Amino acid sequence: MLIFLKRLALFILVLVAIDQLLGFGLRQIYFSQTKGQYAQINQAVNKVEADILVFGSSRAIRHYDPAILSAAFGKSCYNVGCDAQQIPYYTALQDVIFRRKKPSMVILDINTWEFIEGSSKYEKLSILLPHCRQHPELIPYQELSSPYERWKLFSQVYPYNSTLFISANNILLANKIAKDENGYNPLRKHMTPDEVEYTQKLLNQSQKDDAEKKPPTDTVAFRLLHQFLNNCTQNGIPTYVVISPKLAPEIPNVRKDQLIEIVKQYKNVKFLDFTKNDRYNNHFEKFADIFHLNKEGAEEFSHELVDSLRTR
Amino acid sequence: MIFNSISFVLFYIIVTALYFLLPHRFRWLMLLIASCYFYMAFVPIYILILGFTIVIDYYAGIYLEATKDLKKRKQLLLCSLVANIGVLVFFKYYNFLNTNLSAVLHNFSAQNPLPYLSILLPIGLSFHTFQAMSYTIEVYRGNQKAEKHFGIYSLYVMFYPQLVAGPIERPQNILHQMHEEHPFDYTNMVEGLKQMLWGLFKKLVVADRLSIYVNSIFDHAEIHNGSSIAIACFFFAIQIYCDFSGYSDIAIGSARTMGFDLMTNFRRPYFAKSINEFWSRWHISLSTWFRDYLYIPLGGNRVPKWKQYRNLFIVFLVSGIWHGANNTFIIWGALHAVFTIIGLVITPFTKDVHLKIGVPKPLVDGVRLLVNLTIVTFAWIFFRATSLDNAFTLIKNLKTFGKAPFLGDSVSNFGHCALAIVLLLVIEYKMEYLPNQFNFFRHPNMVVRWGSIVTMLFALLLLGVFNGGQFIYFQF
Repeated sequence: MLIFLKRLALFILVLVAIDQLLGFGLRQIYFSQTKGQYAQINQAVNKVEADILVFGSSRAIRHYDPAILSAAFGKSCYNVGCDAQQIPYYTALQDVIFRRKKPSMVILDINTWEFIEGSSKYEKLSILLPHCRQHPELIPYQELSSPYERWKLFSQVYPYNSTLFISANNILLANKIAKDENGYNPLRKHMTPDEVEYTQKLLNQSQKDDAEKKPPTDTVAFRLLHQFLNNCTQNGIPTYVVISPKLAPEIPNVRKDQLIEIVKQYKNVKFLDFTKNDRYNNHFEKFADIFHLNKEGAEEFSHELVDSLRTR
Repeated sequence: MIFNSISFVLFYIIVTALYFLLPHRFRWLMLLIASCYFYMAFVPIYILILGFTIVIDYYAGIYLEATKDLKKRKQLLLCSLVANIGVLVFFKYYNFLNTNLSAVLHNFSAQNPLPYLSILLPIGLSFHTFQAMSYTIEVYRGNQKAEKHFGIYSLYVMFYPQLVAGPIERPQNILHQMHEEHPFDYTNMVEGLKQMLWGLFKKLVVADRLSIYVNSIFDHAEIHNGSSIAIACFFFAIQIYCDFSGYSDIAIGSARTMGFDLMTNFRRPYFAKSINEFWSRWHISLSTWFRDYLYIPLGGNRVPKWKQYRNLFIVFLVSGIWHGANNTFIIWGALHAVFTIIGLVITPFTKDVHLKIGVPKPLVDGVRLLVNLTIVTFAWIFFRATSLDNAFTLIKNLKTFGKAPFLGDSVSNFGHCALAIVLLLVIEYKMEYLPNQFNFFRHPNMVVRWGSIVTMLFALLLLGVFNGGQFIYFQF
């Protein structure tokens, strides 16, 4: 047994050494990216100092043009949205950014499905793992998905789990990746007739599912929304909680009612709902896919948002 | 507590260390307590169900051995089987039977008086029930002496590595090992750990990665085209193999580190060239269970052909039902029965077919392998589908094959899937066809040996999915 334990100790030493070396290499690769999702996250986490910040998911990245907002308010604007993320990500990111610089206006693009119970929204926070070394304040958010995340971070390689293909793509095909415009990454496409047909099927199915299913609400997600809004209010930042346009009008649900009730609790926070809007509902020409406006739709929406914000 | 969790890693280290630190006479007790803790990490109260069947089977075994009267022995065996099957039927099939009864009564405009019960299925119920039944059957047949030590018998049923998803052990193989002293053995420890690592690789890098794509297609069958569904079906075939055999590898490996030798459960089933061969490579502990305790007692193949086919049909149907209380599993079982029977019927015509048509044997074998993989994959549609409607929608949409496939929410995940499958195929191909070559894990040079283990560990860290959740077979 002694031989085994000695060899095991040596093996662990070798493992730790390789982990440090490999981790160092992966860190260089990750932080050297200038285009693509990781570069955008790096910018948001470590560099952004704009006056107006737009938080949200892929719908935020595709729907809010910082140039339009910036021109309308005479302030710098940055879109810190991130694909496939939900309220835990926005709250974690807000925590990091506000420690560096407090903006003068915050726009939070939200969706009611973010408040449906489910663990994936917390698991997706793993996208911030590479930043935990530099921003330990992110670790408690990681622990929302597993209490062991703090321990897993002992490995220098683990934070880069599942990043290989995206990193390789961002580096090798950097010339083919469109550079974002202050975080804004519009979809420059229109749906083909096939896609319209597919999307219609998808909409019918999802509306049927929404009507039939009554999923439980996620109390942790609502707690994080409170935290987000509270952080804004305490810093005296005017905040707008926005549901941006959708292809089909949203079916009324308790989560939206709860969201509206929460927003009402904070002075400085206003709620803007664009989901039931004839200018967007069923206007397939303004959408790139079922969830996202295309560039033309996004610009129209950004102008409409500016008008709404001015009247508030 | 699942094998792919940090809690299990901690649990495993503590239990294995304690096992070798404690004197032999206390080891069974420590393992029993650890197994109870392991089981109670799921739904604590269900330990009582296990306790109930353990007590029944323990005394059934003792009385079976003591009784010479054949009639009484049959009654005792029946008592044990009824208790075990009764628990299984109540927890696993009550609601399924009840729903079907309601449907039948509805046709006669009658109401079903039985209530629907919201009960959670005890984890691994079908596995430990079958293992318990094999004990009383073997004692009844006189192949196994009754276990007098209640603690050891309990450990036979509850031994944590194979408690919730097998391998379904036979008393002749495992009970005596529970009595024997297992001193620390370097080879067992190292080889066991390697097998656990390989199991984790299959689960985290392959199965859980593929499941992301598979779920996105199967859960929205209505909107996907044939190419996407075909890819998802193929991915699911790989996923379920890696999920289940990965679990078995971790179970067998963790038992081996403590000196226990559990039976092999998988032998690269997708390299099989017929359905018959597939079942001699897939979930071996279950297929041999059905062979020994159902197929042979029904007459096996020492009966007229039609009876043999009937027997096969019964076995596969029961196997389907064993997997789950859903019509989809019954269809899955029936399909395998039909495929097996067709295989038996055409065997005389396909024997030495390469000589008859004058093509190289490897080519014929390759075609057979692909045909077998295709029909097994087709049957998996019913296994994975949530309902018959879901399965038929998938099959209907399979026809729209021409369009480009959906690559999932992220192309990166699809790339990871492809890489995982390539890695798996390369390693499995080597294991199947080149067993004595490229044995990097057992290479005499320590640098090569350690290098290959380190590579696999970092492949886990870089490519694994760490939130993939439970093993599919836990639900059975």
